[in-house]
Amino acid sequence: MSESTSANTPKPSSSVKLVLLGEAAVGKSSLVLRFVNNDFQENKEPTIGAAFLTQKCSLPTRTIKFEIWDTAGQERFASLAPMYYRNAQAALVVYDVTKPSSLTKAKHWVAELQRQASPGIVIALVGNKLDLTNDGNDATAGESQADNEAEPSAADGEDASGENADEQDASSGDARKVSTREANSYAEEESLLFFETSAKTGVNVAEVFTAIANAIPESSLKSGRGTGAGTGQTTLGGGRPAEDSRVNLGERGASTAKEGCAC
Amino acid sequence: MQWSSFMQKAQSFIDPANFPIPNLTSNDHNPSKASLFRQQFRLPDSQNPLQEITAELILPIPHTSPNTSHGDQPRNLDRAGNRYAGRLHLSERFICFSTQPTSFVPSATHGASTHWAGQTNGTGPSGNGFIIPLSSIRRVERLNSLSHVFSLALTTWNGALGKQQSGSSGFVPQRFTIQLVGSRQACERFCDGLKKGLREGMKEIENLRSVISDCYSEYLLSGAKSKDQNGENPEARQPPDAGLGMIFRYPGDARKLRDRSKMRLWGEYFRENGRNATLIRQPTFHKLIRVGLPNRLRGEVWEVSSGSLYLRLRSPTLYTETLAKFSGQESLAIDEIEKDLNRSLPEYAGFQSEEGIGRLRRVLTAYSWTNAEIGYCQAMNIVVAALLIYMSEPQAFFLLSVLCDRLLPGYYSTTMYGTLLDQKVFESLVEKTMPILWEHLMKSDVQLSVVSLPWFLSLYINSMPLVFAFRVLDVFFLEGPKVLFQVGLAILRINGEELLDIQDDGSFISILKTYFSRLDESAHPRSENPKLRAITRFQELMVVAFKEFSGITHQAIVDERAKHKDAVLENIENFAKRTSIRNLGPDSKKLNPDDLGIIYDRFYEVLYEHQQRQKLVDEEKKRREKKRMERTSVLGPPADHEVGRVGLGPSPTHMDYDAFRDFLAATSKWAVGDSPAPRKESVSNSWRGYGGSPPVKPEPADHEFMQRLFRKWATDPSEGLSLQNVVNGLARLIGPRDIMNNIQYFFDLYDDTGNGKVDREGILRMSEALLFLSRRGFEGTITPTQASEDFGSAPGEMSNDKLSTDERFLGSVSSFIRRCFEYADPSNPEGKAAVDNDTSEAADKLGSFSIGDDDEEEDLIDVDDEKPKPTEESKTPGKQGSESKAPPQSQHTRNTSESHNPALDPNNPLHITLPTFRMVILADELLEQFFDSFFPQSFHLSDYPQHVSMASSLSSNLTTFSNIHIPKPQLSSMSGVSPAGASGGIVPPGKGLRGVLDNIVTDGIRMAAEVKKRMDEAQRELERNALNRDEEEDEDEDEDYVHPTGTPATPAMVGGISSWGAGAYGADPERRSVRETDRDLLEGAEAMSVRGKDDASMLDGKDGHHQPGTAEGSSSNSPPPSSNLGPHRRTSDEQDKVVSKTVEFES
Repeated sequence: MSESTSANTPKPSSSVKLVLLGEAAVGKSSLVLRFVNNDFQENKEPTIGAAFLTQKCSLPTRTIKFEIWDTAGQERFASLAPMYYRNAQAALVVYDVTKPSSLTKAKHWVAELQRQASPGIVIALVGNKLDLTNDGNDATAGESQADNEAEPSAADGEDASGENADEQDASSGDARKVSTREANSYAEEESLLFFETSAKTGVNVAEVFTAIANAIPESSLKSGRGTGAGTGQTTLGGGRPAEDSRVNLGERGASTAKEGCAC
Repeated sequence: MQWSSFMQKAQSFIDPANFPIPNLTSNDHNPSKASLFRQQFRLPDSQNPLQEITAELILPIPHTSPNTSHGDQPRNLDRAGNRYAGRLHLSERFICFSTQPTSFVPSATHGASTHWAGQTNGTGPSGNGFIIPLSSIRRVERLNSLSHVFSLALTTWNGALGKQQSGSSGFVPQRFTIQLVGSRQACERFCDGLKKGLREGMKEIENLRSVISDCYSEYLLSGAKSKDQNGENPEARQPPDAGLGMIFRYPGDARKLRDRSKMRLWGEYFRENGRNATLIRQPTFHKLIRVGLPNRLRGEVWEVSSGSLYLRLRSPTLYTETLAKFSGQESLAIDEIEKDLNRSLPEYAGFQSEEGIGRLRRVLTAYSWTNAEIGYCQAMNIVVAALLIYMSEPQAFFLLSVLCDRLLPGYYSTTMYGTLLDQKVFESLVEKTMPILWEHLMKSDVQLSVVSLPWFLSLYINSMPLVFAFRVLDVFFLEGPKVLFQVGLAILRINGEELLDIQDDGSFISILKTYFSRLDESAHPRSENPKLRAITRFQELMVVAFKEFSGITHQAIVDERAKHKDAVLENIENFAKRTSIRNLGPDSKKLNPDDLGIIYDRFYEVLYEHQQRQKLVDEEKKRREKKRMERTSVLGPPADHEVGRVGLGPSPTHMDYDAFRDFLAATSKWAVGDSPAPRKESVSNSWRGYGGSPPVKPEPADHEFMQRLFRKWATDPSEGLSLQNVVNGLARLIGPRDIMNNIQYFFDLYDDTGNGKVDREGILRMSEALLFLSRRGFEGTITPTQASEDFGSAPGEMSNDKLSTDERFLGSVSSFIRRCFEYADPSNPEGKAAVDNDTSEAADKLGSFSIGDDDEEEDLIDVDDEKPKPTEESKTPGKQGSESKAPPQSQHTRNTSESHNPALDPNNPLHITLPTFRMVILADELLEQFFDSFFPQSFHLSDYPQHVSMASSLSSNLTTFSNIHIPKPQLSSMSGVSPAGASGGIVPPGKGLRGVLDNIVTDGIRMAAEVKKRMDEAQRELERNALNRDEEEDEDEDEDYVHPTGTPATPAMVGGISSWGAGAYGADPERRSVRETDRDLLEGAEAMSVRGKDDASMLDGKDGHHQPGTAEGSSSNSPPPSSNLGPHRRTSDEQDKVVSKTVEFES
């Protein structure tokens, strides 16, 4: 069984199907790769249909095994998406903070999910490529620092948005085209989790997944399924203790945040 | 009923089966014979089955290597070699032989053409036989025979094209015999066809030479030869490009793959059976392919078995030309390609180099230009990268085209419907062949296609190790898409037991990943038998795929596809629809979802209809021009490519004005043209030249108001209306249900300059539009209060109650005009100061006016009683002057009086402003209701089930309001039937002030004529409705395309009606003529086979290349001047000579 193989603690384990959606080249696969392997590649093979990966996320009371469906971003693959988000309990809708059109596309996906996916699906809106913005450059150290120091609401997008919005106008030579405030207010309207991340530097990536793990209502969790132990050979290596501790910290933050799920 | 037949016809039009052009006769269930023929022999779309005959192919005893007798060949007769019974087919440029009993001539029953047998079931060059371009046939002789056997000996250019002198020692030309079986007549007929084809084929010999020189087999065989003969061909020593593998090594271990022995076997096969264009398939050929192709021949054999060689033969330079033509241009596809270049088979060294990436970029880019509909789809990069390891760029380019158009139809389209469809097919095959596994997958909620989709989409290339994926491709290119299914099923079958244990997607994927990574291991590692131990898992896979699943034939796939197609398309369309509607933006929220759905459906329905029509028209045009059904471009979507559904691929996105008219006609009654009024056909409408398309369903009107709507809604009128535009336009009109909004909207439509003023001309146009909009009645949305004060008529006014709403509305419009002019502001600067005063004053006047206007009703009644009023006409001029006093005589006389009003004096430009307009509208109960309810409600969306009912109510309208709406266009558009002049009070755009002047002068005369005509019209209409009901229905049918011969037009009217105003009838002469052309198309379909022949002969006639007198009886000399075709090829000018020359009958 999966829980016995990798988790140090005999916490109950459950798997969560998570799907990534978003315009082409916003960094969906890179986010997953960062989360799963803590790695970043400039040239990844394009995703044909969808890639499947798994990663565990350890919470104080339980372990969540993410079954991640990373979908192809090219527009024409959109009609395949229903196949992948079917039965998904969580979704990461990704846009590129340097590309306004990608936020529009992300909104479309959110609307699609809200209407067509399983009810109660947890959706996180993620603005990726923060490293290309001034915030990203400044924040690379600062934000992750904050996370590690367990600032209560670090994982909450709202907080970050406040700072970023202030900074934003002042900054020049900044590739950012989508303001944090805009995306955040949209996320609030639709009650989505909201993060800005950089798959390249790793900022906020683990936090996204942790927040999702926390937001999944207990009731919708299936207990760990079957003996599919070999799942995603490439992906299971990542039981890094360092990451786990960070995950835990972030998780604490998230649990106090607005989603306030019981766990 | 009239309209039910209407509907039937509309449907029959939509049904693609009814499209008469042979190339369009595509229908999933019954593909045309021509397309089956092309599929069977992998021929280009330009080819059609012209002749066929039962025949026997007799191959000579292999001369080169007598030691290798083919043990697998069934019948080895003593002197002659193998014999195969089958059928010989002739197309324009090819002669094909297949042992499969199939028939494609149009006379063959469908049963015969779908009766597939043998190894590949019609997916490709199956069975034994050949596909030979006529250009590569050097000579045909009729053999001397003892009995009545009719046999031909064919000699090909095989091996002879590469050299200047082929007569040198040791060279034995490829020669084989075909015995035709059939009546002498049938045989002769076939030979005649062959003769024609051969002459045509001669033109392509240069293409053939250049194409063949790229084939590695030529190098292989000639290289071997030149060793024998001290290599006199230095340039032939340079091997042709056989892919990146020549530079970066081919994947896999050549020794382990036994590449050398394979190469030897193929060399031998080619020597005995011909190569590339002249290859003859015998059982060994299929076996050699099953064991895997040698690296350097792989590309070439793929090219031959997929048929892409024939495309390249057709236009050898297309690839380089395309690249040159679009050099430097940018496109979305190119951006997308660029993103993926670095990530296509990155594990292969060639694609880490500029060389490999450059090739990949060029091939993908060139293809995206030739097939913009597909452009670029992720996964193509992987497939093309794989091809480029074994082929040159042009070869890969043409093969990609065959892949996208034939082998993987719809896979890479913008909706990827082909991919989704084949996933459904695959699932259903799994369910049928492995029910237990299927049930388990269902129970575990594992979706098969998430696993299998990449297999199909990238042809196993990124699922299996490359060496094995290429082995699958070897068979795939020969036997077609069923191979993908067979392999997929075999994978599941082999892993079946393990798969029965899985619980989720994850473990499913992981089991298969492991399996793929161990394909090179022994399938039976623990077996005692060393032979069994030596069998790899991949070999096992191939055996299971092709033995156990041999029942998965092409026909089975075709059947399954047909079964699931609708559901798949519907899914895609639902997805597209809800996505698209959801993304329409804030304005769309003013409309309810049902309405949006209706708009969406109607929008695309209209667009596709127009697209289809356009296609028909284009085809027809092309046919007329070229006199033969040949595609201009070799590539691009296949000729029998389906269109017409959102789910099938990129949709047109914008409607032009004509489509918009159709859209409106389906939405609003008033936009339906006045057909079947007889005159409409004859009206010459010149303002839009390109509308040449046959209408279906309600014929749309064409009115200036609609043009204005179109311009108002469009972001860029030259581009047309997008769905977004239409939704926004409708949302603004009918969303708020607010009379003020509607009034303003209407006003804005006519505010051409955007300065808040509508001038005299505009006022007239407005009133005309009001009449236009109201001419079909009000559908009960306007109910005038019968209390007569409101209408300003005195109590006890005679027969007031009997006045229909429409009649009263006429009166309202009439007073609208009057009031507009009355309260208009002068446009000259001096008058400006008075504007404010005027307005308030106007309001006062208006009040008094509407009460005091007694006579109006009476006058209207007069008109409606159809008393001709010539006297009135003459009276009216005198009446003008004091506005409040002058009793308007009728709609027309009112107009007339208006025109003589000083307000109409062109020297006093005037305008009304929005407040004035609003005031005038609100002052009239009917107009108020018009804007409050009728106008917005006249756009029928979800509240209005079908336009069918509209058609029916339309006809009833024709009866009821005949005296109003029939003459109305005259009135409103003032068309020039009247003796007085070309245009009435309202001028066509561009005629300007002078037109207005003219109109005013001729007004009186026009009125007289009009009233009279209106009378006649009404009379005629009445008669027709009452007595000749049947006749009218007949006419309707004519409208509907079923009896296209009947043209109820009255030709006399043709010239008389002026261009612009006449448009109001929705007529369009080009449309009419197109219908005629469509009828031709229908005929054309029937006559297709004949035409094919005729075309060929026409070509012959046109062809000036034949050189008289070069012919001699013997074949050894007289090459045509300026031709390096080789000594044996000759040209001729007349048919008789051909018999003696190109085709030699030695009987």
